[in-house]
Amino acid sequence: MFKNIKYLLLSMFVVFKHLFKKPVTLEYPEKKITPPKEFRGKPVVKNCKGCGICLRVCPSGAIQIDKENSSFKIDLKKCIFCGNCAYYCPHGAIKMSEEYELASNDKEDLIMNYRIGGVDERN
Amino acid sequence: MSKLKLNLGPQHPSTHGVLRLILELEGEKISSCEPDVGYLHRGMEKMAEKLSYIQYLPLVDRIDYLAGFFYSELFCRTVEKALGIELSLRVKAVRVLLLELNRIASHLLWMGSFLMDLGAVSPFFYAFRERELILKYFEKISGQRMMNNYFVFGGLRRDIAFLEDVENIIKILPDKIRDYENLITENPIFIQRTKGKGILDKETAFNFGITGVNLRASGINLDFRKKDYLYEEIEFNPVVLDGCDAAARYKGRILEMKESIKIISQVLEILRLEKEFKQQLINPLNLTLPEGEYIQEIEAPRGLASIYIKSTGEKSPYRLKWRTGSYYSVNLLRNILKGAYLNDAIAISGSLDIILPEVDK
Repeated sequence: MFKNIKYLLLSMFVVFKHLFKKPVTLEYPEKKITPPKEFRGKPVVKNCKGCGICLRVCPSGAIQIDKENSSFKIDLKKCIFCGNCAYYCPHGAIKMSEEYELASNDKEDLIMNYRIGGVDERN
Repeated sequence: MSKLKLNLGPQHPSTHGVLRLILELEGEKISSCEPDVGYLHRGMEKMAEKLSYIQYLPLVDRIDYLAGFFYSELFCRTVEKALGIELSLRVKAVRVLLLELNRIASHLLWMGSFLMDLGAVSPFFYAFRERELILKYFEKISGQRMMNNYFVFGGLRRDIAFLEDVENIIKILPDKIRDYENLITENPIFIQRTKGKGILDKETAFNFGITGVNLRASGINLDFRKKDYLYEEIEFNPVVLDGCDAAARYKGRILEMKESIKIISQVLEILRLEKEFKQQLINPLNLTLPEGEYIQEIEAPRGLASIYIKSTGEKSPYRLKWRTGSYYSVNLLRNILKGAYLNDAIAISGSLDIILPEVDK
């Protein structure tokens, strides 16, 4: 009986100890965390040579390359953000950026259009 | 007495995923239980037959999203062994470090949700707070919290960094685990809910193929880490308890977390001495395994995980099969819930640490 009361008091002490601690959560839309350097967010393409190695390592088929029109598309609806394309790109053209707020009202917005070679041109 | 059929799940919050248990009740006693799995089936094994090895690698983390590193390591290991690649000591140590951190994170989540099932709310938040430390570290080194994709065939994506974070984690954790134990282990309500509930004797455990903590809490000393080549340099004692009940399984996981902390401190010692980072990466684009069958195993948080690959020398495996611990625990529910009260059903199934993505694959 006394043993039980002792442990109940002990556990109460543990819980009350937390009353005086700072909250560990963040009020999200107002305050934001800065993602770490290696964070895998939205893939960004720059100076692509169109070699097509990313196509062969992408597990979900999110990348589409059309060499004739020199267009390079990444479908963010299909992308699983594994980072394979960025890791295996021989020219370092694909980078996983720190952008993580990707929700959109339009499905078309989620298909990223890039150009092969030369300067980038989005959409 | 007439029997009542009751569906527990598939949307029940205590089943950790979508497990449906078809229970037959006689009064308040369960007379039979039929687990119905497959709600989370993603075709993980079939997918492997279409994708090349490097394309399949990121998906492997998703088999058990609470312990992704284990499956990633298992898949990488199979390819490495098949091609005869040796890992350097530093790479091996890093892998052990991450596996053990992952094991702690997985057990912490189990602890929180198990206590939540029993009706205790505070431990859930405490466990998630500590788990967050570990996941933050994973995010720092690999880029994502759970779908790490950090191990590659022959080594790691990049050298390990921020080891001071790990030191910080293993400095904080023992205190926190003491807090949990003060809160839970001797708590009379917790003891009444778990002591003597869900008895799993040695023979049944063996016959049903149970592994991991569930087996060791029934008094059988079987830890596959003892035979693992990654753990050759590391000393540890497997946690073996003979309580056979839900309370013993809880205690086993708490003790295993403490054991993991000891392993991590040993690994940090190795990493301090072994500074040179060298690895023998292979070009994954034309990667094929020699014709034959390959089997590897590892001690995952929820029991033995093993993989079977049959290769015909082509770019993707001819057949790939996963063996996961939870699948066998779900099957055990038929036996272990028989004769138990409905009130205890959640406590018993929760104590087995069932994770549905691992069951359905």
